[in-house]
Amino acid sequence: MVAMQRRDFVKRVGLGALAFTVGGTEVMLTPSQAYAQGVPYKVLTAEEAKTLNAVCETLLPGAQRAGVTHFVDHQLAVPADQSFLMARVANVQPPFINIYRGGLGAINRSAQAMHGKRFEELDAKTQYTFIDAMRQNKIEGWAGPPGPFIYFLMRHDAVDVVYGTVEGIESLGTPYMAHIAPPTRWEA
Amino acid sequence: MSADKVDLLIVGAGASGSLYAAVLAKAGKKVLILEQGPDWKHADMVSNEIWGRRLKGGAPVTLEGKDKMGYGYNSGYGSGGSAAHYFAMFPRMLPSDFNMKSAHGRGLDWPMSYAELAPYYDRVAQDIGISGDAKAEERWRPPGQAYPMPPLPTFRHGDVWLKGFDALGIKTARATVGINSREFKGRPACVYDGWCNAGCPTGALANPQSTYLKEAREAGAVLKNGCTVTRVLTNAKGDRVTGVEYYDEKKQKQVQEASVVLIAAFVSQAPRLLLNSANDKHPNGLSNKNGLVGRYLMAHTGSTIWGMFDEPDVQNYMGTLAPMHWSYDRYAKTSRKNAFGSTLWHCSPAIKPNDIGGIANARNDLFGQPLADFIKKASKQLARLQAFCEELPDADNRVDLDTSRKDEFGLPMARMTHTYDADAMGLWQAGVDEGLEIAKAAGAKDYWAIRGAPTIHMAGGTAMGKSAADSVCDGYGRTHEIGNLFLSGASVFPTEGAVNPTYTIYAVSLRGAEHMVKNWASIAA
Ligand SMILES: Cc1cc2nc3c(=O)[nH]c(=O)nc-3n(C[C@H](O)[C@H](O)[C@H](O)COP(=O)(O)OP(=O)(O)OC[C@H]3O[C@@H](n4cnc5c(N)ncnc54)[C@H](O)[C@@H]3O)c2cc1C
Ligand code: SF4
Repeated sequence: MVAMQRRDFVKRVGLGALAFTVGGTEVMLTPSQAYAQGVPYKVLTAEEAKTLNAVCETLLPGAQRAGVTHFVDHQLAVPADQSFLMARVANVQPPFINIYRGGLGAINRSAQAMHGKRFEELDAKTQYTFIDAMRQNKIEGWAGPPGPFIYFLMRHDAVDVVYGTVEGIESLGTPYMAHIAPPTRWEA
Repeated sequence: MSADKVDLLIVGAGASGSLYAAVLAKAGKKVLILEQGPDWKHADMVSNEIWGRRLKGGAPVTLEGKDKMGYGYNSGYGSGGSAAHYFAMFPRMLPSDFNMKSAHGRGLDWPMSYAELAPYYDRVAQDIGISGDAKAEERWRPPGQAYPMPPLPTFRHGDVWLKGFDALGIKTARATVGINSREFKGRPACVYDGWCNAGCPTGALANPQSTYLKEAREAGAVLKNGCTVTRVLTNAKGDRVTGVEYYDEKKQKQVQEASVVLIAAFVSQAPRLLLNSANDKHPNGLSNKNGLVGRYLMAHTGSTIWGMFDEPDVQNYMGTLAPMHWSYDRYAKTSRKNAFGSTLWHCSPAIKPNDIGGIANARNDLFGQPLADFIKKASKQLARLQAFCEELPDADNRVDLDTSRKDEFGLPMARMTHTYDADAMGLWQAGVDEGLEIAKAAGAKDYWAIRGAPTIHMAGGTAMGKSAADSVCDGYGRTHEIGNLFLSGASVFPTEGAVNPTYTIYAVSLRGAEHMVKNWASIAA
């Protein structure tokens, strides 16, 4: 294999630390640390974050612990042309919170209509069946941005935080080999 | 306020604008490039698919039609343009691409032949560094010079497909790429880590930062970033351009005078700029008497096949984003029974777990634990095979102004309307069918095709041609209506072949830039 050795210095920085305000001071945390410490959200409401967390965890186990909600929340808080979200590549019109809010709202309205509960209150099996129907645009009475597109966006977010990192790639037993490792701070 | 007049004002610091800037600055001209995005440097090219998204996108557009353009993925803004993060897969167009209309009554003719362009292909290779096997490629095209570097090494995830190609009698050759297989002009060889989609920061890949843009700056060309050109200005008679109006990095309106203006602003913004520059002498926009500005927008469909190979490790995490092998065996316009146009087979890129080209997207029906299991297995066993298929120019596929949406400067945005016709979809389907056969014959344990035809690359919108009746500019990019207004880059393609556009963009631009130098006195007079 070619030129692997010189990469040994690459730091294990995951998604990098984000600047979060805790008790009035700014601290640098990774998304998963921010999630573990219950750092308040900047754009998402606490309710929205709960649903997003449950949806992303259903889409890919590990997304919650990897801090998907804090990752998305931070990217929603920066100007759209600096955002790292797949929404930007997928031609979503900014502000990106609209598509997240619309999607999460539609998910909960359908979950209420079908099961009398919010999505995050459903059991894992029901959550899985729900997402499977949403992905195929098979939820009757769905009112919001197309379900398959919401599936596409949130699934990318989940895969980004779990596998799009130094730790994620190395967890697969494959070498990361950065030229320039993802920095330890996000430049907003 | 008008700053000092310049000789050549270039709109856009992408692939083509950078080349023109290098050639004209070296010829002693005072060159200014105005670029709307940031000044991306090698140091900004962080090796991560998520960070790489910073380089993507550009001016917002409205997307319409049945097969909406994949604009965000297929474009870029800031120094280097889309080429700051392109993959430098460099197939040439073939002679049959240049005279489709005369030969078959389909599409449009180019205002030049392959033979006229061939010397420029050869020179670009020596300029920026290209690795490939010209002799092997000459199976499909007229002979030319050898490439300056041998082909890149191959990895197992590309080689696995060769048995399949062989079984179907399809001949392959090693792919030609703008990536160094060994050190070239002080730039290092590639190390095959597959981070090209986030931008190659080492100089191994011929992005503008490592090649023409660097040369342009060294020769004295000035680049101003954060500057959005909003209108090209003409004299009272409307027969000469006098410069441009733009908004600078502080969002202040400025006027810049220039002897010659070149629009190298890619497919959505080049037509938009011509249309937004309408004045009393040019009520339909500049060089748009025939109504062709914005017409003939094109993309490539991609027949994408994934195969899971029962081997311990096909090393799909190694390589570049450009392919290792390709075949022009299906390139003849009449190769497919039920659809007209060219097809280019190629395999295989390095794969990361996430993003559009990533492992997870290879099976977008999977989620939950099955997705995690798939990613784990695929990270050692997955390989990709793809065909690029041509789309013929269709006047209804176009860029026009969306007057219902304005940008921050109050100007209507570009609207891209795009729908594939039966030929494009027929080529795509034929590619899917043949690709599945190749995968089977290659011995893939499991193989499948991605459903739905994507829009890959973008070209057209300000087509070049022989006559003022059927095109916007001539073969040197000079607009038919205004002698000192030029166009260059992907937007001037009248047809697109089934090849990635940039090697041809460079060759056409080098020809145009040298013509501009040679005829400067009459052009700028
Ligand atoms: C992910 C990806 C992979 C690719 N891979 C390949 C490949 O392997 N091989 C290949 O041949 N091609 C590839 N391409 C395509 C290639 O990058 C483009 O075809 C090429 O860069 C187009 O060159 P251009 O000069 O026409 O436009 P660009 O390089 O896009 O440059 C246009 C520039 O103009 C600027 N601009 C636009 N409007 C204005 C304005 N009003 N004012 C100021 N500035 C403005 C833009 O910001 C941009 O920087 C790839 C593209 C992408 C996105
Ligand atoms: S694989 Fe090669 S060309 Fe791509 S980023 Fe790495 S060194 Fe550059």
